[in-house]
Amino acid sequence: MKNLKKIRQLLAELQDFYLLCLDSSIKLFKKPLYFDDIIEQMEYAGSSSVFIVSLVCLFVGMALSLQLSAELSKLGLKMYTGKIVGIAVIREIGPLITALVFIGRVGAGQTAEIGSMILGHQIDSLRVYGIDPIKKVVIPRVVASVIMLPCLTIIGDLICLFGGYYIAVFVSNQSGSFYWASIIRELKFPNVFSGSIKPFLFGYLISCISCFYGLTTRGGAKGLRTSTTKAVVTSIVIVIVTDLMLTRILLYALGFSI
Amino acid sequence: MIVFDNVCFSYGPREILKDVSFTARFDERIAVLGESGSGKTTILKLILGLITPDRGKILIDGVDITKLSEEELIPIRRKFSIVFQEGALFDSLPVKENVAFFMREILKLPDEEIYKKVGGLLRRVGVQGAEELMPEELSGGMHRRVAIARALAVGKASMFLYDEPTAGLDPINSERIISLIEDLANKENIGFMIITHVVYVAWQLCNRFIFIKDGQIVFDGTRKEFIKTDIPYVKDFMKELFFKVTY
Repeated sequence: MKNLKKIRQLLAELQDFYLLCLDSSIKLFKKPLYFDDIIEQMEYAGSSSVFIVSLVCLFVGMALSLQLSAELSKLGLKMYTGKIVGIAVIREIGPLITALVFIGRVGAGQTAEIGSMILGHQIDSLRVYGIDPIKKVVIPRVVASVIMLPCLTIIGDLICLFGGYYIAVFVSNQSGSFYWASIIRELKFPNVFSGSIKPFLFGYLISCISCFYGLTTRGGAKGLRTSTTKAVVTSIVIVIVTDLMLTRILLYALGFSI
Repeated sequence: MIVFDNVCFSYGPREILKDVSFTARFDERIAVLGESGSGKTTILKLILGLITPDRGKILIDGVDITKLSEEELIPIRRKFSIVFQEGALFDSLPVKENVAFFMREILKLPDEEIYKKVGGLLRRVGVQGAEELMPEELSGGMHRRVAIARALAVGKASMFLYDEPTAGLDPINSERIISLIEDLANKENIGFMIITHVVYVAWQLCNRFIFIKDGQIVFDGTRKEFIKTDIPYVKDFMKELFFKVTY
């Protein structure tokens, strides 16, 4: 009985989430568009996140290069470090790591901010005076996330590759020019497309999930804690599952054989 | 005119309001009293159409608002000026932008005119000079007064709705808010509904009292009826009033 109630609750939550996504997508093309709010959210989601994304990507790139150098040198294939780091970072690790950092910094912030607006009746105030909270609060965050996550991913990819370069050249004693040349050789349409399409979808999903949990916040500080935790955990799971599904689809669509 | 006709509302399994019925004119001065969690704020949210009842009808000027869409509710909501509990000011905006917010968004006035009006409204509620302060820099009393200024900014409504306007305030600030509410009602010549659990505030401002207990109206009457009532729950509230008046 209890499980049935939980399933019903989950289905209702999924329906509400679907309706929020649909609503925000439809209303994006209707006036008014709060341009100033979009810019403000882009500043928060984008330029304020550059440092933390760069920091995480730098260390991930270094660790990846370190692991690959160690294994490949056993096989006498150390010169492939650049190629493998390049493919892994551009196609998979860059978009995924950037998205995970984005969830922690931006997604959690969006949920907490909207949640406190709900608890402080600020969203009710907007509704009372005929301002649609979807247009004023949700859409600027979704648009900012969809624009800024791909930008952050490009920066993250570059920093990740640079971290790999540092290890390959200064620790593993490989040629720097060969490292970059092998990466540049991998900058082909299938690899770049595969890595650049993901952040758009991740940005959309993260902001929709974060806004949804923010808007459904109930019950004071404890409720805010619960909704923020739910938003972060759900976003992480959804992003990783979507990444897997998208990777399979893209590999098939772009003609990679497995 | 506000009409509640057998309104029931619940949050999940918890019943908040059970068959609540009452009628209120816009020019009345009504206090809705009760313990915390008795369903007072729910009544206010139902009047504004922010939540939909499970059963029953809510008529505002003869229009059943329970089946209206968000867009159809806009003209209904414009009949009210609402001051939410603790003000509901936007944290990221300074005082002047908070007051200007709805003028800019709804009335689309030019900036010069907006700031002139903002200055006037802030003077009217007694917080002149606080234009550049952020909401977190305001005292509780100033917070409520800025919220009242913001409610006034959009234009003349048919009725004021106040949700716990003196909650958490010291006696001096409470008195200031009470005077401001009375002054506005007299000057604007419109009524108000106050949601409060402080019977002293209700007594000073209102001439009709509605008591809610466990989601039901247990008393609805005038000052005279209120004093003479022998309902134990209402009498418990009255103790606070007698204490305040006596001392």
